[in-house]
Amino acid sequence: MATTTAAVTLTSDLLSDAMSVNASTTCMKAGTTADGLDQLEYAVVEIPTGDEYDLICSTPTASKASKLYVKNHAIDETYFVAITQNAQAIGRLYGGDWMFIPADFHDAAGDIAITSNGGTNKIEYALFHEGTALTTT
Amino acid sequence: MATTTATITLSSADLLSDELALTTTSTLTQTGTGTGIEHTTGLAMKTITSTAKATASGQVVLYTADDFAAIAYLYIKNLATTAGHKIYIYDDTTSGDPIQFQLDAGDWGFIPMNSDKTYAAYASNNPTKMEFMVLGKDQ
Repeated sequence: MATTTAAVTLTSDLLSDAMSVNASTTCMKAGTTADGLDQLEYAVVEIPTGDEYDLICSTPTASKASKLYVKNHAIDETYFVAITQNAQAIGRLYGGDWMFIPADFHDAAGDIAITSNGGTNKIEYALFHEGTALTTT
Repeated sequence: MATTTATITLSSADLLSDELALTTTSTLTQTGTGTGIEHTTGLAMKTITSTAKATASGQVVLYTADDFAAIAYLYIKNLATTAGHKIYIYDDTTSGDPIQFQLDAGDWGFIPMNSDKTYAAYASNNPTKMEFMVLGKDQ
């Protein structure tokens, strides 16, 4: 079993006392604490403005666990990629932003796509999962 | 100006043939600028008692549409300790209330979300505890 850990730290001086929120999770297969996610897709792509790129284009299968990490390496803070899931907008990553979401990307509503805006955005993404249904050519 | 940062570390010693050690930090800024965010809801801990989508009670509203300007950052964690006790986050503004994230026990998520939608949570088990926080610029 592979053991993969995802940890986050949020810090801020917004409040009158310093804020520091920490969380950590071991990335597990669906419904178990004994078997970790053991497959990974990890890539870096440059997406010209206006282009849409499918990070995940899955075929429905049985419920499985996935964790998706995406980072926008654009330096220009006005550049962004729009994130959609099943064609519904869920967020935007401006230059320097990252996201990490756990979801079941293997169901019918699991497609994740990004659209580049402002200029060419360099995107790094990692999908930790427990199997996908490969698309037949 | 306040400085708020979000750091993620992804690590594994045995997923690949070499060690995976990825760390990145983002400074949270107002949309399309270098100016730091100014507001937060603060960290909240709530108990979900609803096990169905879009029911009248027992769900937890994480964020109400247009509370914050443009993009706001959502942090959420499922505090359940039993595998399979999931929290479902759905978009309560879009027709059909599409589910966007599913957090199993112990899972956390962080996303710069679309601020013009209302997000709510229900769970597979009653009760299920969660913590969450929204950061951004209030409007």
